[in-house]
Amino acid sequence: MIKFDNIQKSFGIGTPDEMQLFNGFNLEVSEGEFVSIVGSNGSGKTTLLNILCGSMLIEGGRLLLDGADITKLSEHERAKYLGRVFQDPQKGTCSDLTILENMALADNKNKKFGLGAAINKKRIDHYKELLEPCQMGLENRLGTLVGTLSGGQRQALALIISNMADIRLLVLDEHTAALDPKSSELVMELTTRFVKEHSITTLMVTHNLRYAVDHGSRLLMLDKGLIVLDRKGKEKEQTTVESVLHIFNEISIESGN
Amino acid sequence: MPSFLGACEVFLTDGFMYSVLALGFYISYSILDFPDLSVEGTALLGGMSYALLVRASYNPWLTVLVAFMLGSIAGCVTGFLHVKLKIRPLLCGILVNTMLITVNLIASVVGMGGNLRGEEALTTIPVGRQFITILRGFPSTLLPTDLGGINARKLIVLFVVATVCKLLIDLYLKTKNGLALRATGNNEQFVTTLGIDPGSSKIIGLAISNGLAAVTGTLVVTSRGNANQNMGLGMVVIGLASVIIGLSVFNKAYFFKDTTKVIFGSVIYQACLSFATYLGVPSAYNKLLMALLFTVALVTSNFTTKHRSDSRD
Ligand SMILES: Nc1ncnc2c1ncn2[C@@H]1O[C@H](COP(=O)(O)OP(=O)(O)OP(=O)(O)O)[C@@H](O)[C@H]1O
Ligand SMILES: [Mg+2]
Repeated sequence: MIKFDNIQKSFGIGTPDEMQLFNGFNLEVSEGEFVSIVGSNGSGKTTLLNILCGSMLIEGGRLLLDGADITKLSEHERAKYLGRVFQDPQKGTCSDLTILENMALADNKNKKFGLGAAINKKRIDHYKELLEPCQMGLENRLGTLVGTLSGGQRQALALIISNMADIRLLVLDEHTAALDPKSSELVMELTTRFVKEHSITTLMVTHNLRYAVDHGSRLLMLDKGLIVLDRKGKEKEQTTVESVLHIFNEISIESGN
Repeated sequence: MPSFLGACEVFLTDGFMYSVLALGFYISYSILDFPDLSVEGTALLGGMSYALLVRASYNPWLTVLVAFMLGSIAGCVTGFLHVKLKIRPLLCGILVNTMLITVNLIASVVGMGGNLRGEEALTTIPVGRQFITILRGFPSTLLPTDLGGINARKLIVLFVVATVCKLLIDLYLKTKNGLALRATGNNEQFVTTLGIDPGSSKIIGLAISNGLAAVTGTLVVTSRGNANQNMGLGMVVIGLASVIIGLSVFNKAYFFKDTTKVIFGSVIYQACLSFATYLGVPSAYNKLLMALLFTVALVTSNFTTKHRSDSRD
């Protein structure tokens, strides 16, 4: 359903620091797959997601979504098909707006932002239903400014918001990294529930090898812009944290880290 | 020395008049975080077009609408320079301002029936008694011009215009488009993930704020009785100071909408200026005083906003 076709990406072109990260990168993700992506710092995980979402331009190659070429679409045009949660809890929601206003905006995604009333009172019950499962009491605080919520609460909200419209693909970049272990566990649990309920294709970057092994139907490891491990199906199910860690360490030793 | 009552009249009328400008800055500066210098040119554009059209006997209220639209177009140009050509906000303002100098000169010469090659442009276009302005046309004529020594008509008309602008902005900010505008100023990335182009949101915001600046221009012309090529000078300071004063003085007043606070801010700012005149400060010191007051407002608001973010975490 999503296909990275021969992607070329370099940084600092024309400067002494020119660095080629992706040279003919290929990846195909099928419908309904939940892909966990691991890899050391600087291996290109965030860049990969940025390329997918259109936040970064590429020098060569194509991106296909359900066979259609989306390479030329701008970031906000692609957003139509994508839900995205960032590592930084500040990014996925608007701090100066209330929970209700944030949800009302997300509820209108892929529709016209015209001169109709922003908040539809009839939808409030629906918003509460969406908030209830995260058990943070957010459903009773719709009028609260999002800027006053904790990182974990904001990230849970960002996750819910990213799923409100009909999207084709969910993109998560270390979305639990800034959270304490408990919130992180909770947000991860919410994530799996969402993905299951909507059977939505998902790309999740994480540094938590256990999350990568426990969740998802496919495991990728990146190193210096290359896929060094790709497991799915039975093979993925049999993969253990220890074995992934082992491979991870071997690569690190090879590259002298 | 002007009378105390007279000074009160001046700051109230000026306060309401410039609050329209300040409401525009509320959108561009406060919501979109865009310090927009082009308003000095658009205020003049609005005033100039109003003076010329009123002299040509067009309906003055219709003329105010036309001024709003002309101002919006100029605002779109500012937005276009920033969003599509990636020019920094301050420079966009300077560029549009400079372009508008020519536009306004040409408009004044041609509008007064002159010849572009021949004579010097008129710096001042009078809108004298024989012309019907928003104060000398229906429905303002229903109001008395003199009420106990105060020009009640002017005061009421300006108050109503300011209030209508405020209410329209309040309404707009409650629409989907308005909420998207607020979100754009707050978090562009978020807006992008909703499939909205933050660039077009910004252009809309700048169109509205410059439209309001142009309306202020028409009010200034009405109030002074002429349009002057220099009338835009100082508008940025007046507008920004009013917004900043309003929002920081009433920082904790949750029962007031921000737009209401901005109108209060404008009145307070003009009150300070009026009372300086009342106390005998010569008008030559006016701009210096404006800038000093603005500086005080900026420094105090830094303090109050810092305080606010402290209490949040
Ligand atoms: N905007 C940029 N300009 C220059 N170099 C960049 C830029 N973005 C990423 N890079 C480089 O590309 C490489 C991959 O970075 P990327 O952020 O994709 O890594 P990552 O796998 O997400 O790492 P982390 O686990 O630390 O988040 C790094 O070497 C980084 O320095
Ligand atoms: Mg990263």
